[in-house]
Amino acid sequence: MREELVWQDEEAPQRASVAGVVLEFIGGLTLLLVASVRGLLAGRKEWREMLHQMAFIGATSAPIVVLTSAFTGAVITLYSASLLVRVGGGSFVGGATALAMARELAPILTGIMVTARCGSAIAAQLGTMKITEQIDALRALAVSPVQYLVVPRLIAGLLMFPLLGAIANFAGVLGGGVVATAFEISPFTYLRSIQLFVEPFDFIGGLIKTLVFALIIIMVSCHQGLSARGGAVGVGHATTRAVVLSMVLVFIANYFLADALFARR
Amino acid sequence: MKTNSTDAILVKSLVYAVNGTTILKGVDFRAAYGEIVGIMGASGSGKTTLLKCIAGLLRPTAGEVWIEGVNIAPLSEREKMPLRLRLGIVFQYAALFDYMTVYENVAFGLERHRRLPRSEIARIVKERLAWVGLEGVEHLYPSQLSGGMRKRVGLARALALDPHIVLFDEPTSGLDPVNAYQIDRLIHRLNRELGLTAVVVSHDVTSLFRTTDRIVVIDSGQIVEEGTPEAIRQSEHPKVQAFLRMASTESLEEQAGI
Repeated sequence: MREELVWQDEEAPQRASVAGVVLEFIGGLTLLLVASVRGLLAGRKEWREMLHQMAFIGATSAPIVVLTSAFTGAVITLYSASLLVRVGGGSFVGGATALAMARELAPILTGIMVTARCGSAIAAQLGTMKITEQIDALRALAVSPVQYLVVPRLIAGLLMFPLLGAIANFAGVLGGGVVATAFEISPFTYLRSIQLFVEPFDFIGGLIKTLVFALIIIMVSCHQGLSARGGAVGVGHATTRAVVLSMVLVFIANYFLADALFARR
Repeated sequence: MKTNSTDAILVKSLVYAVNGTTILKGVDFRAAYGEIVGIMGASGSGKTTLLKCIAGLLRPTAGEVWIEGVNIAPLSEREKMPLRLRLGIVFQYAALFDYMTVYENVAFGLERHRRLPRSEIARIVKERLAWVGLEGVEHLYPSQLSGGMRKRVGLARALALDPHIVLFDEPTSGLDPVNAYQIDRLIHRLNRELGLTAVVVSHDVTSLFRTTDRIVVIDSGQIVEEGTPEAIRQSEHPKVQAFLRMASTESLEEQAGI
């Protein structure tokens, strides 16, 4: 396994063709993923680093996820209620908000917020370690950078994303509930509507999405960080690319996941 | 050049090419046990690349790199891991883990490769820091240290796992003469007291002349001269002469022959 290829490209060819760049990206990401899965299954677990990352990805992201989700739930309710109440459909409002949150908005908002907060930080940290030879120092001390840096972040991401997704759901529904009362929809009607229109699988499917998003965001950010080159500017580029690529891939994956999970139900 | 049991490091016809540029063009190099070998050359001559190939951090395009009788050139990252413990590397800018204290930096390798009680690790860390002349800095972060102190912590970290060979990448660059002198003395002392084999990559002529047993001069990816510091000083190779002349303390007028 040529796992060192991931960080051995200090002076790698600057490919001119778009196809070359895409192939290099897919190849590097795949190699890193294979190495990470191997590290996940066997090898020393860096518990301390993992707990640290769980706190960073999970606990410190929770407030911003709660805030954005609550307001998103509120605005969905604002639109649906102002429309539905006019035609006497107030009892659909809770269902509409909760369904939108569970299937789409909670996972996507979690993905966006964590990319912005943690994906960028991961790429910047690993990128800085790369250009200041700290990655080489790890290897020189016979410690695999994948095992020490990537695997703990991946485990932390896979554990914390569904949790954040669930919190986002709750916050969104709560935010919507507050707005609903302004349209004279009682909390009882709101909750009853959720019960009627939302199935457990809508919620579970949304959490499955967050697992895939976690995989994308953590792997892309780690890969961009580890392949950073060329000083402070290089770290900046790596960070930007990590965020942009993570977001784009999350949105693309979201479509296919929606198709696989919900479209045929 | 044949394999000799006294060679700690033996490099044969090493080629390293990347991006269509050949950085090392068939380099032969050896370091006997207990020897301090200097690799001298200008920036961009390929001396750090040679060091990283010896360290197993870069994979050579062609050639062999024997470390204590094992050719590491064709090995995978995984296979190289146990061999890395025989080598210590001191990086140019120390490359200390910046989110860890000095103590955690030095203890890092010990905690992962040696099954030792906490108190024993603490003892080794304290001892290694004492070797490099640092005491009472365990709780500080790298950003709170001066350049010379950082290099010494880097050396303490490299020494933690009792390597047989230590590779130094520009140990004195960016240091004032006093700190540079101290680092040189440290390299010399570790070699004499612990029998460490040392490879020192540098463009600091003064430092190389006073520390090393033997110097190889590298230019554009090729070894152009090799010998004792005295022999290098007397060398008539034009590249070596030019390099030494420019490193000398003569004024520019004197050098121009005015």
